[in-house]
Order: sequence, then structure tokens, then C-alpha cells
Amino acid sequence: MKKFIALLLGFTMLFGLTGAVWASTPGVLTIWADATRAPILAGLSEAFTAEFGIPVEVHEVGFGDIRDRLGIAGPAGEGPDIIIGAHDWIGQLIADGLLEPILFLEDIRDQFVPVAIEAFSSGGRIYGLPYLTEAVGLIYNRDLVLVPPATFTEFIAIASALTDPEKGQFGFLSNIPQPDPYHAFPFISAFGGYVFGLDEEGVLDPRDIGLDNEGAIIGGHLILELITSGLLPVGTDYGAMTGLFNDGMVGMILTGPWAVRDIKAAGINYGIAPLPTIGGQAMRPFVGVHGFMVSAFSANKILAMTFLEEFIATKDTMLALYEADPRNPAFIPALDVVAADPDVVAWAANAAVGTPMPSIPEMGAVWTAWADALLLIVTEEVSPEDALRDAVMRIRAVIGYE
Amino acid sequence: MSMTAILAKILLLGVVDSLGVWTAVGLVVAQRWGMLAGLVVGLLALNYAVLSKRAYPLRYLLPGLIPFCLMVVYPITVNMGVAFTNFGTGHRLTKEQVIDHFESRFYLPEDGERFTFQAFRDHEEDFIFLLVSKETGTTYLSAEGILEIVTLEDSRFVFDRGEIVQINGYYRLSRGELFRLLGQLQEIRLERNEEVIRLTSIREFRVYQQRYHYDREQGTLTDLKTGIIYTPIAGAFTSADGERLLPGFVVRIGFQNFLEIINNPHIARPFFRVFRWTFAFAALSVATTFVLGFSLAVLLNDPHLKMRHLYRTILIIPYAIPGFISILIWAGMLNVDFGIVNRILQDLFGTTIPWLHDPLWAKVAVVLVNLWLGFPYMMIICLGALQSIPSELYEAARIDGAGSWQRFRKVTFPLLLISIAPLLVGSFAFNFNNFNVIYLLTGGGPPIPGAMTPAGATDILISYTYNLAFGGVGAQYGFAAAISLIIFAIIATISAINFRFTRRLERISEGL
Amino acid sequence: MYSRHTLLGKIFRHLLVWAMIAFTIFPVIWIFSASINPGNTLFGLRFIPQVVTWNHYLDLFTNPLHPFGLWLWNSIKVSGTASLVTVFLTALGAYALSRFRFRGRRTGLLALLLIQMFPQMLAMVAIYLLLLSIGRYIPWLGLNTHAGLIMVYLGGAMGFNTWLMKSYFDTIPHDLEESAMVDGATHFQAFLRIILPLARPILAVIFILTFIGTYSDFLLPSILLTGTRQFTFAVGLRLFIQGQYATRWGIFAAACMLGAIPIMVVFLSLQRFLISGLTRGGVKG
Repeated sequence: MKKFIALLLGFTMLFGLTGAVWASTPGVLTIWADATRAPILAGLSEAFTAEFGIPVEVHEVGFGDIRDRLGIAGPAGEGPDIIIGAHDWIGQLIADGLLEPILFLEDIRDQFVPVAIEAFSSGGRIYGLPYLTEAVGLIYNRDLVLVPPATFTEFIAIASALTDPEKGQFGFLSNIPQPDPYHAFPFISAFGGYVFGLDEEGVLDPRDIGLDNEGAIIGGHLILELITSGLLPVGTDYGAMTGLFNDGMVGMILTGPWAVRDIKAAGINYGIAPLPTIGGQAMRPFVGVHGFMVSAFSANKILAMTFLEEFIATKDTMLALYEADPRNPAFIPALDVVAADPDVVAWAANAAVGTPMPSIPEMGAVWTAWADALLLIVTEEVSPEDALRDAVMRIRAVIGYE
Repeated sequence: MSMTAILAKILLLGVVDSLGVWTAVGLVVAQRWGMLAGLVVGLLALNYAVLSKRAYPLRYLLPGLIPFCLMVVYPITVNMGVAFTNFGTGHRLTKEQVIDHFESRFYLPEDGERFTFQAFRDHEEDFIFLLVSKETGTTYLSAEGILEIVTLEDSRFVFDRGEIVQINGYYRLSRGELFRLLGQLQEIRLERNEEVIRLTSIREFRVYQQRYHYDREQGTLTDLKTGIIYTPIAGAFTSADGERLLPGFVVRIGFQNFLEIINNPHIARPFFRVFRWTFAFAALSVATTFVLGFSLAVLLNDPHLKMRHLYRTILIIPYAIPGFISILIWAGMLNVDFGIVNRILQDLFGTTIPWLHDPLWAKVAVVLVNLWLGFPYMMIICLGALQSIPSELYEAARIDGAGSWQRFRKVTFPLLLISIAPLLVGSFAFNFNNFNVIYLLTGGGPPIPGAMTPAGATDILISYTYNLAFGGVGAQYGFAAAISLIIFAIIATISAINFRFTRRLERISEGL
Repeated sequence: MYSRHTLLGKIFRHLLVWAMIAFTIFPVIWIFSASINPGNTLFGLRFIPQVVTWNHYLDLFTNPLHPFGLWLWNSIKVSGTASLVTVFLTALGAYALSRFRFRGRRTGLLALLLIQMFPQMLAMVAIYLLLLSIGRYIPWLGLNTHAGLIMVYLGGAMGFNTWLMKSYFDTIPHDLEESAMVDGATHFQAFLRIILPLARPILAVIFILTFIGTYSDFLLPSILLTGTRQFTFAVGLRLFIQGQYATRWGIFAAACMLGAIPIMVVFLSLQRFLISGLTRGGVKG
């Protein structure tokens, strides 16, 4: 028993003051960023602190957790000053009164790629300082595919020629059947499918859902054919797709710039191409924009804005962010510097035909119902017509416009 | 009890009490009445336990009960409160926060005149500002927070190399100083006639005009730009023609969340199917993990078995790896095309199994993976419980001529069951709410064709709740809380019924 | 209960255990394989990758942004303390429930168990806000502190554990303490000197269960801890796989392998207590 108490005391002694600054505190900038961005920002912030004497605390928070945690921590007075996130969060964050509009961006908006500013805009205001744009494209292995396909017919021909399951080699893989509607969208959009239409004022209208229109159904059949023709295994998920590609066993994959870092590390001789056209129509991917947002519950709003204006919206910082994680900069002076890079050109070409991912809160209902429909299509349980129609009915039921 | 022990006891109690009273005063000042009530009840219980002879058993229970009440009971009561509110996306803030939000929202960028500025400070940390309008070029100097027009010929200005470095004993702030003082400067409000001018960035001041005004008497919010009056209805400021301003705020909405569950056919219809599977999943999980864990415990409790310590250690590995990772690994291994399990099946039997794509196989998969995750727990508690069986009983049974199988059946098994039966009930409840294994392995899928609700073939009640509350429009905490109460009621009822059986078992054991 | 085995019986038993070990270890091999795979994939086609690398392990200890060693230490600290205190609180409570007869005992026991059945996942927001409030008055017990996290864990100390322990105490004959009390010992002394030593196996079991349960928990700490330096092992681990398309499986798997070691050590060192207490030492075959 004595030993027990001694042990207990010992453990208790181990605790000193373990608390550290992690919430918005006057005079200290607190930033929440995910594992990819936090290290870069932590490095950059040191320069800021050295120059201006303002401490910057960068906290690594899981990308998927940042938005939800801000919603609880912010109003309780424990949130950060700045978060880094995706533009499709702003619908929910603004509805919750958690974001502060960034005024200075209105003066320098023409220094940014227009789609990036558009993505972060709502009700005439800009809620995020965009720093990268991304959209899926075709990544191919130059050792297997000499010339990337320009049309879907060429694409099928190349994919069929390379596919040899006996050897474990595949012409084309994508994690669409995972199910991942985000990666499936180019197929849906090529023939005129869309998620939400626009109302007269050019604002997304949750009453107008285009996921079961004629074009979307054709797209659904196209995906189904990839499966039934034996080109795309129904078990393909993101891990299998990138894992096999990095082993040099895949000709082409449909995914975004986030995969490139590992591909480079694996030493694959890769290239990036625009998505092929189908019947002269472009496959239009979703465009995602990432950027810096300021919490409405920040105790340092002006300081946070100034940090963004003086330090982040600069060529050097934007280039440093690009170097550490090569996705196309949204800041034109930085984009110009890297514009000669063929990867940048290809990604930009894909994004140019794309449409911003909807950012209204109703999108949550779309993702879940659409993913279910996609899985039912690829497992051949339900025809694309019925699956997409059911999904749209379900979305309407959930968001309350039946 | 010795005199010193009594003295020590009273002294300790005195210290705890005075600490408690001290905290209570703080809580009164902060007007945290809920916390205060909890503290007072806790202190009273503590004093009662220590001082009253009748409450002697409470002295043993209280140390565990205090954190239990604080960290388990209290959150449940909060949850009960939340179940009767609209807390969720669009309704996250308090009304006060929302009013503040609207009142600090301004006309900008429309007609906000902007100024470049220089800031000056004296030794008493007082600031004055020199503002130059970007529109008119007029120069202003702030005095006591009010702007006056000045010219550069003003005698108060001290120039150095063409720049004003000092005004009336106030020294010009460098850029670095400005940066460090932004926190203070952001609170500064300057006035020009009726207008308010404040800092927007390190580069400029702007004229601000308040757009919304909250009338405390009427409780209404007025848009000063359009003149529209908004009244608070159902958690949002609403205009006469029904326009609702976002963000809204949290309000009590009575039984609305519960009525929604009952009245919305899309939600209620799959409920019984999901409930049936939840029950089956929990029962199967308990049965499989118990049988395997128990068998292994008996096998590895055998003192004649060599290397049993090593075996036991290896067998707890599934328990040593955080569940979320091993479930993800299993999901990969069960992949229909690339998973190792199907590749082996293909090599051995020439066939594969659509593990996560077929409703039945998906169910098999979750039970199998849950068995892998859960048997070490059962093994450990059975190993512990086996030690409680008195060896005299075995001796007696042996003298009566019972063989080893009979000893197992008549002595080991029933006695072990007595001590771990409550744990089995607990394990049932745990698996009833085992969100992780479902969410990470199958995501509740495969989906059911034609379903109008996010309830897949392997969804259990808790994952169904999650889909409903967080897979729709934003996050609906109030709604989730309401369903969680219903789930809680169900599982508590099932468990209470189960206990009627264990109670009988316990009577037997107390007779021992 | 156990008799000596025939050779056949021995072989059979070992085979049975080996089969179970195969089932147990199979996924672990995959994790290990991913941890030495230079590619960042969890689903390589080969058990042993073409190129073997230890860089992921090295990275864990050399990258200052992921203070992995510190995370492990935090976890050991939190789980160790929470488990020790849990064992003590549970033993106290279970002793009262086993030895004293008082009003509300039965109901209390039942309530303890039933209340634990509330889906804790949905109580997270409440726990977060509670710790936030506590932290305003008692900073070392608030959010982002290990003491606060431990306190939340202690909330679950009673409940299932109490039942397990009480059942065990019930089987310890009363006459042992009674004779001690005749000799002038108080109830509490009898509890400390007689019951606890006899109950060592169950104390060890509860320690192990609590240690493992808290050690591999990520839900609570991921909500309550925000500073990277405060993270426990499981929370830190999750960071590696949180980006939607940016999972770092290699380093994640390596962390996972190393993270299992403390649990093994705890289990190995406590195993000797899993043998009966004093009165029933030899179960001779």
C-alpha cells in the first residue's frame, strides 16, 4: 500500500503547469492549421515574430476538425484568431456568425485568381484570403502513357490497352467507387449535370438540384461502364489508387495535386494532363480554394487582418507556401513566378473549366445522399437513373424543399 | 480511532471546506449559479459523509462519486437541456452574441471615408493621431478623441527630414511599435461630427456607420439602411415579411426535436430495422467476444501450459492498438479487389467475398472485426475473475469424484458467470453504442436502394443518429441530443431487464 | 481445475493458441509492413516492400513538429495516473458496496451501471464547456491540461469497474477482516491491509483495462487537448491521417507500432498479479 501511495504521489508530481497559450489572447496571434500547413506557417511566422515582435502560436488541428471546433471554441472565447480551411466551409461558418469579413481584400482583389475570390465571397463580402486553388486532373505515368488522351475515346483505348489484372497492371484508376462523389463530378458535369443551379441574382439555389438531370444520368452510365467493362475495379479507393500508381503499376489516375508529393517521392516519371473531352464537352471538375479566415471571436482582429495583409498576401510568403506544398497559388504575382512549370499549367487548365464547389450549408445533405447513390451504381444494385433520382428526392427531403 | 486521527480528519475537512467556501464566493461574484449549486451539494455531501456515523459507507463511495457526478451525470443533464433547444448550425450563439454581431456590423465598404494615419504617443501611454483623408486630402488631428482640421504649418508639429516626428510632446510610433500596439489601438474610436472613425488595418482608419441597431426596450433589431424592423422569432431576427437574419441564436423549442423524430416518416420508418440490427450486432458482439475471450482465458490460466505469459501478451495486441487505426487496417484488408483477405481466398478457393458491398457480408465483417477488437477485453476480465474462484471448491469437487470437464462445468463456469455477468450487460451496452467500428469500417453501408434516409445496412442507432444530425444541413446538436436521450432510454430499459437475471445470480453468490 | 496434459493434449492446446495468435497478429503485420514502406501507402501488394526504410521511425523522433516521444510520455503519464487513481477509487467504492448494507445500495449499483450507458460521444460538447468553465477558476484543471483530462477519465472510474471489483470482494470471506477488527483495526485498516492484498488480481485487471482504455482513446483528448505539446499518443497519431487526401500512412504505422510497446510492458509486468491472492495460492493439479 505504501508503494501504491508513493507511486500515486510520484505521478501527481509530474504535473507542473501544463497549460499553454492556445486560444485567442490579446497580443498573441493564434492560428489553427492542419498537419500539412502548420509546419510551413510555423516556419514563416518566426520571421514575422522576429520582425514585429508579435508572438505567433501555430496549432496543428486536423483539417476535418477545424471548422467544427471553431464553432464550439470561438463563441466560448477559446478559439483561434486565424484558421486555414477550404472555401466550402464558409456557408456554415457565416450562418453561425463565426467569420469576420476581410476588408482589405476588396482593394487588392485583382491580385488574386478571380475564381478564388469568388469562392470566398458571400453577400458581397470576402471571408477568406485565398492562397491555393485545386481541381482534379489526369495524372499519368510517362513510362506507360506516352501521350495523354485528349478525348474520352482515346482515353478508353489507352486504358484498355494497359489494363492487365494478371500482371496487376491497370490502365486507369480512380477512387470514384469508394464512393467519392468529389472525384466522380467531372463525369456528371460533362453532359450538363450540376449540384445546385443559380437563381436570378446568381446565388446558389438549393431548390434547383441538377444531380438527376439527363446529363448527370449519362455520366452515371459512363462510370458504370468503366466498372462493367473491367477497367476500373469496384474496390478502388484512394489508398489503392495512389499506392498502385506509386508502385508504377497504373497508367493514369484521376485525382488532384495533393497526390503529387508522394508520387514525386516514389520516383514516378509522371505528367499531368487536362481531363479528356467527351463529345467535344469538357469534363468539369470541382474547384476547391483554400485560404486564411479570421474568426469573428478573435481578440486581435486588426492584428490578424494586418498579419494577413502585410505578411501573407505577399509574393514571398505565397511562394514559400507553394514550395512546401505545390498546389497552384491563387495569388497572381506568385502564380506568375511558377507559371512556366508544366504541372502548374495543367492544373490551371483543369481548374479553368471547373466550377467552384458549392459552399452553402445544404451541401452536407448532398454529399451523403450522393455518395450512397454512387455506391449503389458501381455495385450494380440500382440503375443510375433510379439511384440518382432517389438521391435527389432524399436531398430534397433532408433540406426541406420537397 | 485515535485522537490524532480525529484531529487530522477535522483539520483536513476544514481545509477542504474553506477552499470550497472560497470558491463559492468566487462563483457568486461570477453569477455561476449552476456551478455554485453543484459545489454546495458536493460540500454538504462530503461533510455529511465525514461527520455522520450513519453515512459511513458514503465515505468510501464519495471519492469516486464526485468525479462521476461531475463528468458523467452533469454532461447528461446538459444534454437533456440541449435536447429541448435548436442548438446547431445557424443557431450556435447566444442572443447577446448575435445582437453584438449585428451591432458591430457596419455599412462598409459603402461610403466609408478612409484615412491614412500616423500615430503618436506620450509617456502616459496616451495616443493622438494625424489623419489624412484619402478622398479629400484634408488633414486632421485627434484631440481627446475628436478630430480637428489642421494644416502642416501647425506650430505643434516638430519636423525631422520632412517628416513629423513629434507633436506636443507625443512621439511618433514606428511601424514595429504600431504592430505591438494594435491590440490597444483597435479599441480606439475617434469622432468627427456624428461619425465614428476607427482603425481597420495598420494602414488606415475608416468612417464606420452602424447598420443595425438593437432596441433594448422593444427587443427588436432595426436595419438603419433599409428601415426594416426585425423581431426575434424562433431563434432568429425575423422581418415582417419573413426574412430571417443569419446568424440566429439558441432558444428553447420544447418538444419540437422529439416531435420531429416521431412525425417525420423518413426518420421513423427505418428506425425499427436499424434497432433490430443494433440489438443483433450488440448481442452477437458480446456472445462472440465472450466465448473466445473466456476460452482463451481458461486455456491460458492453465499453469501447465508453457509460454502462457508470452501468449497472453501477444493476444492482447488488438487491444493495445487504438481502435480507429486497426479498424482502418481491417477496412483495407477486406477491400473487395485489393484486400489481402480476398486475395488469399482467391488463391485458396478461387472465389472472393464482397465484404463491404453486400449487406449480409458487411454485417459479418463488422462482427468479425469487432470480435478481433473485443476478445482481449473479455480475456483479461475472465483471467481476473478466474482468480476469485476458491481452490477449496475444486478440492471438494475432486473429492466428490468430478472429472476436469465436470469441474469446469459445475464450478468454474457458473462462478465466473456470476462475477462477470454485469460486465456482459455493460459490454452489450457498449456495443449498442459502438460508433467507431461501424463508422470507420462500413460507414453504415452498403446503402439500401430507394432509402429516403441515411440509414445503411450496417448502421446502428448511434451512427444513424450521427448521419441524421451531422450528415444533413450543418450540425444539429439539439436534434442529436434528443435522439441520444431516446437511445439512452432504450438501452437502459434493456439493461435493467437483463439485470433481473444477474440479480438472481448474485443472490446465489452472496449465499456462498 | 487443471490436470496435467497428455502429449496430444499439449500439442492441441498450443495449436489452438497459435491459431488465435495468427488471427491476432495478421493485421499487425500489415501495419508493420506499412511502417517500413518508403511509399506512403497502407495497402502495398507485398508483405515486405521492395525497398525497406526505417525513415518513418527516425522521423518520429527527429521532427520537432511531431514531438512523438513527448506524446508517448504524456500518454503514459495520463493513463498511469488515471489508472492508479481509478483502481483506488473503485476499490473504495466496491468495498462499501460489498461489505456494508445501506439504503439505496442496490439502486445505486444499478444506477452506476445504467448511467454509464449514455452514449458519451454526444456528451462531448458538454464536457468541453464544463472544462472550459472549470479552467476559468482553476487553470491547471481546465482545457488543454492533463489534469483536466484525467479528471474526465475518473468520472468513468466507477460503473463497470465497481461491479467487477465488488463481485470479487464478495468472494473474499468476511471472517478475515472480522478477526482483524476484533484485534482493534478499523474498517478502513482492514480494507487496506487485508482486502486489497487479497484482491490483487482484480486490481491488476482494472489497472490494465483502464490503462489500455485511456491510452488508446482519442475522442476525449482530441477535443480537450489543443496544444501539440499537450497531445497524447492517440491524438497525435490521428493528425497523421486527418487530411482528407493527405494521409501519412508510413509515419502513422511506425507510430502505431512504437505506441503499442508501453501497453505490452504494462501487461507483462502486471501479469504476475493475475495469479490468485494469498489464501488460495496453489491450485495444484
